Amino acid sequence: MTEKQRLLDVLNGKSTDRPPVICPGGMMNAAVTEVVEGMKKNHNSDVDAMVEAAIKVHEITGFENYGVPFCMTIESEPFDVEVDLGSKLVEPRITKYNDDILNHLDEIKVKHSKRALVVLEAISRLKNNEIPVIGNITGPMSVVTSVIEPTDYYKMMRKDKVKAMKFLEVVTDYLIDFANQMIENGADLIAMSDPSATGEILGKKNFEEFMIPMYKKISEAVHRKETKIIIHICGKSKSILESLNKSGADSLSFDSVVGIKEAKEVLKAPIMGNVSTQLLDQGEEEKIKLHTKMVINNGTSIVSPACGLAMSTSVKNLKAMTDTVKK
Amino acid sequence: MTKKELFEEIKNNLIEMEEEVVEELCKKSLEMGIPAKETIQEGLIAGMEVVGQLYEEEEYFLPEVLICSDAMNIGIDVLKPHLEGDVSADKIRAVIGVVEGDTHDIGKNLVKIMLEAGGIEVHDLGRDVVLDEFVNKAKEVDAHFIIMSTLMTTTMEGMKIVIEKLKAQGMRDSVKVAIGGGPISQRFATEIGADLYTKDANEAVRKIKEIHEAA
Repeated sequence: MTEKQRLLDVLNGKSTDRPPVICPGGMMNAAVTEVVEGMKKNHNSDVDAMVEAAIKVHEITGFENYGVPFCMTIESEPFDVEVDLGSKLVEPRITKYNDDILNHLDEIKVKHSKRALVVLEAISRLKNNEIPVIGNITGPMSVVTSVIEPTDYYKMMRKDKVKAMKFLEVVTDYLIDFANQMIENGADLIAMSDPSATGEILGKKNFEEFMIPMYKKISEAVHRKETKIIIHICGKSKSILESLNKSGADSLSFDSVVGIKEAKEVLKAPIMGNVSTQLLDQGEEEKIKLHTKMVINNGTSIVSPACGLAMSTSVKNLKAMTDTVKK
Repeated sequence: MTKKELFEEIKNNLIEMEEEVVEELCKKSLEMGIPAKETIQEGLIAGMEVVGQLYEEEEYFLPEVLICSDAMNIGIDVLKPHLEGDVSADKIRAVIGVVEGDTHDIGKNLVKIMLEAGGIEVHDLGRDVVLDEFVNKAKEVDAHFIIMSTLMTTTMEGMKIVIEKLKAQGMRDSVKVAIGGGPISQRFATEIGADLYTKDANEAVRKIKEIHEAA
């Protein structure tokens, strides 16, 4: 059984010999310092380096997938924000918002940034028969709160719903376009992380009103291309678990604060998660092995980190996790 | 309209996120000759207390709290110039910020809102705050508390360093340190010698006031 087959079988609701263990990419990527430190070019912007990093992650950490990109900033680039492209120690991040964009929503022509094209090219080079290639997109709420000041957007959700919804829709349409092209270039599945949409911040009512329609739209588009989608939400998401059943996701991934057993009681789709990233960064190998076993026993269908990995995480610790799953 | 009725109107409109109505009613309170301090306490702060409860009960979330807080601040802007006497002398003064290297500030902003609603004077250093700045600002405003937040494990160490800086400057006894954030725990707080750890904004206000009164 290939790694690709096992992962797709889980997403298709089939039983497998064991859960796959993956680190999708995007917000949850394993291009930690130890993996990328020898590389000459920036794996966040150079296509050869991006491909090399994806392959290296698979080879040395034991995660059973290729995943690109390694940040959450590419989807914001079409909206004219300033991005710092990161280094071997820190991930790329937004350095300047574009608050003015709301005055130009009608005129905006959203098109791929240079790095988006790099991602599509990287996917086409990584395409293969054995190892699943995951195309990662940042969720719509996380993108809008990367383009303008988050508190301004959260307030707009109550004060000017029409504008807030419109902005979210413009972003969602772009994400669908990006995801579709990832699939056309050879991505085997799509993973979307939307940390800013956490139940902790939005609550059930806001989440259902704003996010579920967008997630449904994205999932439907991905499904039209006969491809599966995993959705990850950070934080205490108990309040939105039930709502997530309507998202259209083929698998739902959670942070370590959400108990897998409790999530399984509510969710219909297979669950992915949720090995503590704090443990992976600072813990000892033995504890990581025990914790990974516990996560498996709790019934996760796909083993993965609970959230984004700190770049200081050691490959040794990641291997402790992945080896435990494969034993 | 009686004074009591006006306070009730201000409180309810704040809870209902009606910023403009709150502004109008605060102006009206001045026309009625009501002392600004009373309106702030019985109208605005009373309203924010209910908002805090609604947040704790998971009826209100961040978007709602942010707008209520804006309504409170608009009201305070109207009333502040009319405050009599030096009301700031007996206020608790706090410096707050997100630790150097981290830019996640939503939690910190929520704590700031609740602290201000609780009558505490807050000096907000923002996010990615250079560690020395916590100490410098605390000195400058004669703060009773330094409050630090982070969502990342990789920046937690900075909190310990700030405490060490306070010790080095002989300020550790006069400034209390409160910490919070996703990866923070009571165990970590105890380990680094912080005075207080709380898991959310409402608890922070309660405990900070308790500690201050006990001191």
